[in-house]
Amino acid sequence: MANNIRNINKCIPRNSLSCIVPRLLTVQQYREYARPTSFPDFFQNPIFRKEDQAKLIESAELPKIAALPVRPPAVYQTSSAYHDPLVNKVINHVMEMGKKQMARNLVEKAFENIKRSQIERYHLASTPEAKAKIELDPKKILHKAIENAKPLLILQPIKRGGITYQVPGPITEKRSLFLAIKWLLEATNEKERTVHFPEQFAWELLDAANNTGKVVKRKQDLHRQCEANRAYAHYRWQ
Amino acid sequence: MSLIIKQLLLHTRSCAKFRQPAICNIYNYSTKATTTSGSNNVLDNITDWETLSKKKKISKAMKAYLDRAQEHDEFMKRQQFEYKIGKRHLANMMGEDPETFTQKDVDRAIEYLFPSGIYDPAARPLMKPPEEVFPARKAAEFDEAGRPHHFLFYTGKPNFFKLMYDAADNIKNLQSFEDKVIRKKASPDPNGSLNLNTSVWLTKDQLEQVLVENITDLEYDNFKAVMERLASLPYSYRFKEFIEKFRKPLSSQRFALEIPKPAYDSEGRAFITTYECLRKKARGDVTVKSPGTGKITINGKDLTYFDDVQSREQVIFPLIFTGLLDKVDVDCHIEGGGPSGQSGAIRWGIAWSLRSFVDSNMLQQMQVAGLLTRDHRRRERKKPGQPGARKKPTWKRR
Repeated sequence: MANNIRNINKCIPRNSLSCIVPRLLTVQQYREYARPTSFPDFFQNPIFRKEDQAKLIESAELPKIAALPVRPPAVYQTSSAYHDPLVNKVINHVMEMGKKQMARNLVEKAFENIKRSQIERYHLASTPEAKAKIELDPKKILHKAIENAKPLLILQPIKRGGITYQVPGPITEKRSLFLAIKWLLEATNEKERTVHFPEQFAWELLDAANNTGKVVKRKQDLHRQCEANRAYAHYRWQ
Repeated sequence: MSLIIKQLLLHTRSCAKFRQPAICNIYNYSTKATTTSGSNNVLDNITDWETLSKKKKISKAMKAYLDRAQEHDEFMKRQQFEYKIGKRHLANMMGEDPETFTQKDVDRAIEYLFPSGIYDPAARPLMKPPEEVFPARKAAEFDEAGRPHHFLFYTGKPNFFKLMYDAADNIKNLQSFEDKVIRKKASPDPNGSLNLNTSVWLTKDQLEQVLVENITDLEYDNFKAVMERLASLPYSYRFKEFIEKFRKPLSSQRFALEIPKPAYDSEGRAFITTYECLRKKARGDVTVKSPGTGKITINGKDLTYFDDVQSREQVIFPLIFTGLLDKVDVDCHIEGGGPSGQSGAIRWGIAWSLRSFVDSNMLQQMQVAGLLTRDHRRRERKKPGQPGARKKPTWKRR
C-alpha cells in the first residue's frame, strides 16, 4: 500500500497531488526543518584556483584532500582568470548598505578610467622605453597602489602614569592592508561634489601607484611620527 | 492497535529523556562481573542473579544491584516482546509480510500512519528496538562480598580513567620504542603513519555512550588532549586500533558514487538532467548536453537572464573550471529566490551533471574546489527579543 502511494507521488507533480488528497500525503510533503546556517568546522576551505590546485597535484596531496568534506566556494569566488581576491576586498570596502552591485560597478568604472588615462599616456609617449614603463593593467596598478599605501609601523595609545603616550609598534599584515584601503577611500571621498567617485578613485590609485599623492604622504607622516616617538617604544612592554 | 500506540508513546517519551540512546555499548568497555559471560550485549551478560541470590553471604550493595538488574531484565524482556508484536501489527496494517518486515519498513510505516508536523524530528513518533531506545547499563562492578572488580572503581568513573591510564601507558610505550629505534639508528616507517584527516574524535556524547559513564567537559578536554598527544607521536601507528576506537570517520566521497550514465536524445547527443538543484530559496533543474557549442539557456533566456556580473560568473564557474565552457550546452529551469540563490543552484546543478562528462582526476579537483558540495545553508530565523538572528539590542545602562 505504501509503495503504491510512493509511486503515485513520483508520477504526479507534488503541488497538484497535495491539492487533491492533502490528508493522504502529509508524509510525503516537503517539510521545512531548522537548517544549519553554517558548515561544521571539519569542512575544509575550497581550493578553487587552478594554479593553487596545480601545486597540490604536483605534491600528490590532492587525493588526500578530496577525501574530506569541502565547503562550497562563496558567491564572489570563481576560478576565472579575472578573479582577484584583493579586488573583491576593495569592492567590499567600497560597498555601503550591502549594495554590492553598485560597489562593483564603481570599482570597475574606476578601472576603466585608469585604463583610459594610461592608454592616453602610452600613445603620448614618444620613445619605446618610455612606453614600456607605462603600466596598462588597472589591477596591477591597484596592487601597486595598495602596496605603496601600506604602513609598516603603527602608533598605539598607551597610558602610563596618567599620561597617554603614542607608542610606535609593529603592525600586522591584515591591519596594514585594512589601513591602506581605508586611507585610499578616505582620500577619494575628500573630493568636490561635482567629481564622481570612479574618477577620483582612479586618480588616487594612479598617484599611490606612482608613490605620490595624499595617501602615500599620510603613510610617510605616520612613519615620521613613529620615528619621533621612538623614545616611548619601551612602554610597549614596560 | 492500542498496544502499538502504547509502545509508541512509551518510546516517544523515553526518547525525549535520553537524547540519543542508540548504539548501545558497541565498544564494550563496561566492567563485568566474573560470573557474567563475555558477550557484547548487555542483556545477555546480566549477572546470573538466581544462583547468586541462593548464596547466604551477600553484601547489601550486591543485593540491591541484583534486584535492580532483575527488574531491568524483566522490563527489557517486556519491551522486546511488545516491540515484536507491534512490528507484526504494523506489517499487517501495511499489508506486508510480517516475517520480512525490517526496521526500515517500520520507520516508513510510522511516518505514514502517524504523520506529524512537529518541528523537531526527534520529537516525532517513532518505534525502535528497545536496545536502541534505552541506554546501556553497566554490568555488576563488585562481587558478592561487595569488593569491586575494577582497580579504578573508587575513582567513580572506572572506564574513563582506565581509558586515560591506557592512553598514558601507550604514550610511554611509544616513547621507549622510539628510544630503541634511535639507538639502533633506524628511521620511522613512512608508510605506517596514521591518517587522521579523514576522521574526528568522538564527541562528548558519543564517548559517554562508549564508556557507559557521564563525563564532565574538563574530562572530555583531557581525553582529547591525551589522545592528540598519543596520535602525534611518530610511531602512533603501533596503537592504530586503540586510537581508531575513539575516532569517527567523516562523510565519505559521495560524489564518486552512483555517477549516472547519460541518456541520448533524438539527435544522438548525450544528456544528463539534475533535478532538485537547491540553494537558499531557489529550486530548479539543470540539463547538460554534450557535445554542444556552449549555449546556456536559463528559463528560455541566455546568460543575460541575470543582470549582475557576479551571478553570470557563478553560472559559468564549473564550466570554466572543467574547461568545457564551449563544449557542452546547458538548459535550466529555475524558480524562487533571488539572483544569488538561483545562480548558486544552477552552479551546483551544472557541476553535478558534469560528473558524467569528466574523468576521475577532474572529479577529484572539482571536489577539492567545493563545486560538488550542496550548499544547504538557509537564512537563520529572527529571534524574539532581539532585532535579528544574532543581533542584540544596543546596550543601555537604563
